[in-house]
Amino acid sequence: MKRVLVIGAGLTGLFAAAMAARRGAEVTLVTDGRGGLELSHGCIDLLTPPLSPETFGHLLPAHPYRRAGLERIREAMDLFREFLTEQGLTYFGSLEHNLALPSAAGGIRDTGLAPLAQATGALADAGTFHLASLAHFRDFSAAFAAQRLRQRGLPVGGVVELALPNLPPGRDLYATDLARLFDDREWREETIRSWRSPLTGIQRLGVPAVLGLTGAEAARTSAEEQLGVRLFEIPTLPPSVPGLRLERALRRTAQAAGAHLIEGAHATGLVEAASIGRVTGVVYVSAGGPRPQRAEAVILATGGALHGGLVFRSHGAVQESVFDLPVEHASERGGWTAESLFASQPYSRFGVIIGDDFRPVGPDGQPLFENLFAAGGLLGGCDRTAEGSRQGIDLVSAYCAVEEALT
Amino acid sequence: MTSLSTQLLVLGGGATGLGIAWDACLRGLKVVLVEQGDIGQGTSGRYHGLLHSGGRYVVSDPVSARDCAAENAILRRLASHTIEDTGGFFAAAPGDPPAFADLWLEGCRHAGVPATEISATEACRREPLLNPRLQRVFAVQDASLDSFDLLHALVRAIRSAGGQVWLRHRVDGLLREGDRVSGAIVRPSGSTDTRTVHAEMVVNATGPWARETARLAGLDIPMALGKGAMVAMATRLVNTVVNRLKPPADGDIIVPVGTVAVLGTTDVPVDRPTDLHIDPWEIDLLLAEAEILIPDISHHRPLRAWAGIRPLFRPARAAGETRQMPRAHLILDHAAADGTPGMISVIGGKLTTYRLMAEQTMDEVCRQLHVQAACRTMDAPLERPADARYFTLPARLEALERAGRHQQQPEVICECESVTREQILHALESADTTDLDDVRRDLRLGMGPCQAGFCAYRAAALAESRAGAGSTWLEAFLEERWRGTRPLAWGTELRQMDLTRRIYLELMAVRPATEAP
Repeated sequence: MKRVLVIGAGLTGLFAAAMAARRGAEVTLVTDGRGGLELSHGCIDLLTPPLSPETFGHLLPAHPYRRAGLERIREAMDLFREFLTEQGLTYFGSLEHNLALPSAAGGIRDTGLAPLAQATGALADAGTFHLASLAHFRDFSAAFAAQRLRQRGLPVGGVVELALPNLPPGRDLYATDLARLFDDREWREETIRSWRSPLTGIQRLGVPAVLGLTGAEAARTSAEEQLGVRLFEIPTLPPSVPGLRLERALRRTAQAAGAHLIEGAHATGLVEAASIGRVTGVVYVSAGGPRPQRAEAVILATGGALHGGLVFRSHGAVQESVFDLPVEHASERGGWTAESLFASQPYSRFGVIIGDDFRPVGPDGQPLFENLFAAGGLLGGCDRTAEGSRQGIDLVSAYCAVEEALT
Repeated sequence: MTSLSTQLLVLGGGATGLGIAWDACLRGLKVVLVEQGDIGQGTSGRYHGLLHSGGRYVVSDPVSARDCAAENAILRRLASHTIEDTGGFFAAAPGDPPAFADLWLEGCRHAGVPATEISATEACRREPLLNPRLQRVFAVQDASLDSFDLLHALVRAIRSAGGQVWLRHRVDGLLREGDRVSGAIVRPSGSTDTRTVHAEMVVNATGPWARETARLAGLDIPMALGKGAMVAMATRLVNTVVNRLKPPADGDIIVPVGTVAVLGTTDVPVDRPTDLHIDPWEIDLLLAEAEILIPDISHHRPLRAWAGIRPLFRPARAAGETRQMPRAHLILDHAAADGTPGMISVIGGKLTTYRLMAEQTMDEVCRQLHVQAACRTMDAPLERPADARYFTLPARLEALERAGRHQQQPEVICECESVTREQILHALESADTTDLDDVRRDLRLGMGPCQAGFCAYRAAALAESRAGAGSTWLEAFLEERWRGTRPLAWGTELRQMDLTRRIYLELMAVRPATEAP
């Protein structure tokens, strides 16, 4: 059994750990923080406009998709759907066509794969829909979304505000607070009952994505039956419940397959002098003090600027945080960002450069270590926000890194 | 086109213009003030927040030092709700010229600036983050002054005394009657409908725009513009204003303002009032200089950077460095200077001395209009607003706690600055609110560590009906917040920026305003 060490517990790290464990590796995942899924809409953005031989050909040669190739992209998506279906979280969509989903700010979000609860809200579906706010919930406004969707010519029928009876007293609610309440069957059924009359005559309704963390799909379908309304969810401001559902499902898959998770542990690369051309593993710091964790293969999935895989310094350096790998970047700090928030950002294209085998390479294009692989947000070569490819790259690069690591 | 007559027309709604309009109201004059943007959008709202003790100028500009010391005492009396009495230090760091301290102390005595020497140990006891190796430290009467609160108090005072304040009105042209300037043609922004204001006297208090304004009457004012960049640190590192005890230089001050600490400033000559671009070297310099006073500063997060433009009078013989030009103000009577009566320009000065500048300007206006009325601003306190509910963070926290005790938990929209739903709805009722940035200036919405990453959505949603269909309030507010974080885009700040970008572009699918249908 090959010993594989995964660093990071975002979408990339969890998927890599699950896949490697399923393929028979002895997997340890070490993570410092929570991972990025609580910021995620829970969908898999692949590319906008969607992947095709043509759009694929337009990507830069250093783009992670180009490293993977179209076939492995397809395989990665199939495996992802397989894992999630097992967990009762069915994903809809395809590589060739994006789903257009309404956003909480009345935007139209293009995505490749979406969980059923969101896919039901696809704007291509015929007919009008209504939007609902929940009373005293700041992080989703139906009126705001509706106003802006109507401007885009979408058939928003109307807006309702739904009450939440028996709210426990306390601070303002986050999406996760509501989701935990919806996980309580008694509370949920009473709440749904109270929605019956305000929803009379409505056929299709978009609600904030808070209908539970653990049994969300069952909760949604039973609410649909109770109300006689087709319900779909729209992700809210973070903490974002659909991302957390995805996180939970992947953790369960990984752990069920035998992966061992070590959390709250900051990892530093370990390279012993004797092991020429190979990494030994990492030293991680936890309550018990620093400990070495050795492995035959290490997969770095530590994320980019936001999640700490890349550290941006004021003097113009950008560092990879575990092995101090070379990072392709511009050294003039003044040029890291664009004038507009909405423009493509140079900093987001910085990152570790890999070869076709997903091993980080040096300036000469040669792999730095025989048994070190990189995946997800720390890879350079593209602006995921601008091209709408974040989760696709995470999954595909994790897939390829695991495949190569187990070869 | 509508037309109206007044005695005094003031151009510019910064501290100078508002101070003049208030002084005029108290002397019984009929006043109209026009401001091209929002209150505090120019230099007055883009400063480091310091109420000068005068210590900064005792060696280089003793007249200014004396004025500052006197006005400092007056403002503490008149507008106490806008001032936090932090006190200040002048601290000589290791390597600063040792002889300067004695020269400076001598200057303080001459200018009447109270200064008391304390030991470096005592200074570090009061401010634990300070460099323990300071050579000498003097305590002075610096304070932190919230210019937004001051300007709003002036607007309220002017309006309740019958004066008019028009926001978002641009001056299209100045009226002439022969040699005389006799008013202005103004236009509300976004409108083609002009208004003619006839006035017995026009005061040009447009700060960095004073030269452009005077040109409308064919006059030239010798002016220089000095851009100063500032950085707000995400936490309040000191509770006392800390100045470097050396000749005025870049990065010589740290001011505690509300929840943050402001590092000031650079001084770069620029050509236009809109040249607000900040170069990376300015940020590096401010942080490096602050590190001499607070050695640990690199472990703290810079939150936001901005720049203001100092309008400085440049006599023909002076050229070059704007830092060396006198900070004292100048009241330029165009009748005497250019043979053009009817207009006075006010150039230079500091927020601390706005009242004095107003007094002197109005003395001249009254002399020319043959009005017998003495200045009364010194005896007219600016009222604390009746709903002083949200002007300081402690007050806001207290309000939240009080409401919580009565089981009426208010909904908090901006968690960093404790801005509630009711406060925002109230601000949205005001006719002066035209976007979320106006709400920000009123309530500090989005000014905390997350720089509106979370509250922009919530606030834009609350403003949905007010903003109306097709509005781009959300997009504009996000862009404005992005601008001020860009000069600090590394480390934690860049992570915050990336988070905002992901929330709004990926999760919310918000697109640039120009692409909105």
